[in-house]
Amino acid sequence: MGSFEVSALSKSFGVGLPALSDLSFRYEGAGAVGYLGPNGAGKTTTLKLLVGLLRPTKGHAYLNGIDPMADRKGALWDVGALIETPEPYPTLNVHEALDAVGRARGLSRDDVDREVDRCHELLDLPPLGQRVGWLSKGQRQRVALASTLMGDPSVLLLDEPTSGLDPAERVLVRRLLNRLKRDHLLFMSSHQMLEVTEVCDQLVFLDHGRVLLRDRVDRVAGRIRPREVDVEFERPVAPEAMATVRTLAADVSALSDRRWRISFDGSDETRVRLLALCQGVAPVVQFANTSLVLEEAYLELIPKAPEEA
Amino acid sequence: MIEARTDPPGSTGAVPRHRVSDLEQWTTITVLQLGHYLRTNRFYGLLGFVALISALTLAFQVNSGIAVVRYYQLNQCSEYLSNFLAYTGLWVILAAAFFGGDALSVDFSTGAGYYMLVLPIRRPVLLAGRYAAATLVTLAIVGVSYLFSIGGAIYFFGAATVPWAILAESVGVAAVFALAAVSVAFCVSAFIRSPAAGVLITVLALYVGFTTLTAVVQLAGIEPWFSLPYAGGAIASILDTDFVHQQAIPVGAGQFFYSWVATVPEGLEIMAAYIAVFLPLSAYLYQRKESTG
Repeated sequence: MGSFEVSALSKSFGVGLPALSDLSFRYEGAGAVGYLGPNGAGKTTTLKLLVGLLRPTKGHAYLNGIDPMADRKGALWDVGALIETPEPYPTLNVHEALDAVGRARGLSRDDVDREVDRCHELLDLPPLGQRVGWLSKGQRQRVALASTLMGDPSVLLLDEPTSGLDPAERVLVRRLLNRLKRDHLLFMSSHQMLEVTEVCDQLVFLDHGRVLLRDRVDRVAGRIRPREVDVEFERPVAPEAMATVRTLAADVSALSDRRWRISFDGSDETRVRLLALCQGVAPVVQFANTSLVLEEAYLELIPKAPEEA
Repeated sequence: MIEARTDPPGSTGAVPRHRVSDLEQWTTITVLQLGHYLRTNRFYGLLGFVALISALTLAFQVNSGIAVVRYYQLNQCSEYLSNFLAYTGLWVILAAAFFGGDALSVDFSTGAGYYMLVLPIRRPVLLAGRYAAATLVTLAIVGVSYLFSIGGAIYFFGAATVPWAILAESVGVAAVFALAAVSVAFCVSAFIRSPAAGVLITVLALYVGFTTLTAVVQLAGIEPWFSLPYAGGAIASILDTDFVHQQAIPVGAGQFFYSWVATVPEGLEIMAAYIAVFLPLSAYLYQRKESTG
């Protein structure tokens, strides 16, 4: 099983510009670790340090126990990495671009072809004879993602893997990641909370180059109390009919004649009572949080200064 | 720690992989890079340019007539080839700059680096593969000039008179010169982030800069032993039947203007020195370079 680790890892760009400060964590086995944080938090920098695209100012990064600064080939041997926007040479066709990756990872010619076919199927790649330079952004991203899968490495480092993809492609990739995490170790930075919610088991929240929180997704979700719900009734409801709901809610506003947004204190007790009150108004079709729990967690964590966290 | 699950795997299963050697990876990178170069506009542009200049040269010579050409070439096929190949050094420099001037910077200025540098390949191996490809493409460009020169030699002097052995030596010198010029281009490319600037600086440094400097130091009566283009003169001079290493041309009042043409051993020594300095330096810089963009 694969592993990745950062140990007291720090990186500064120029004098007094710390991008990462004393980062330490380690994951091994199979599963998916989400890496969250605002732009500039240091997510991509961490991934670059892990694969040796950057040199640490202090500390070490390890892939499968090997420091890429000491042994790049050994460290990256069983790792697929999608960082920033990888671009194979535009003159190559899709098969050639993937073939080079497969050969570099020690696949035989037959196995390269088998792997290309597997990736083609998994990611609905464009025709293999098509030149990379002629592909759309989404197609190129899928080819880049396919390149990380060539040879079936045990660790996958993915920096915004669905960036540039359309909704259908995102669903495809999310499903793939969900399958991959069963026997691969995924470390995935993302701004897509839905993606992280659906795919990841563990989370690392980062801001200003420091880890704010590391925990399992279900534990993080359990700590968050969303303070807004949207309720949808079976039939139109008049504003005066919502008077009983207003007695418990901080605010009630109409989104349409059937849909209402209710703000409250976030407690489970109030939530239960609000649902009961709404059911008294009219049959309820849907009663759900307005945002993803992780999004709430993100908003709760990130605005805090690093020293508070 | 994340626990492994027992659900069906997301992949087709373990894919057999062997510990690929540096040599195998070097071959992969060389083939990949060659495939890329041979499909670029710059390859066809430069190939067309060299072919055009060579074809025009040959056309003018044919138009002058066989007798005239033979007279001006001292009735020597070797002399003819030497003069025809006088610009080979320039073609080498241009090709080296076009294919080497951005060979490394492309990894740090475009997304190419995020594709290649995350593979389990040591950077010196990546560099070596690209170096081989750039040198081979440079020789392919120069080969066009050689083909035209051979065609002219056979037309004006007959196939029997072509000095094949010396011509092969000339190609060998051109190959060493290409290695030296590509070494310089790679070094520039390792220093500079912009691919276009890398190409331009290589041409400016190797051709404009050194040619000017060579002329200036010769005016001062100094042999330009430090200049790579000067060393490149050996590509043609090896075929020169009336070769003179140093010429003293009287300019009046007892003054002389001295000019030098590199001997083959001297030229090879200079080229070897450039390779010995610039190639390891390129490798060092490339190894140290970070993807900060």
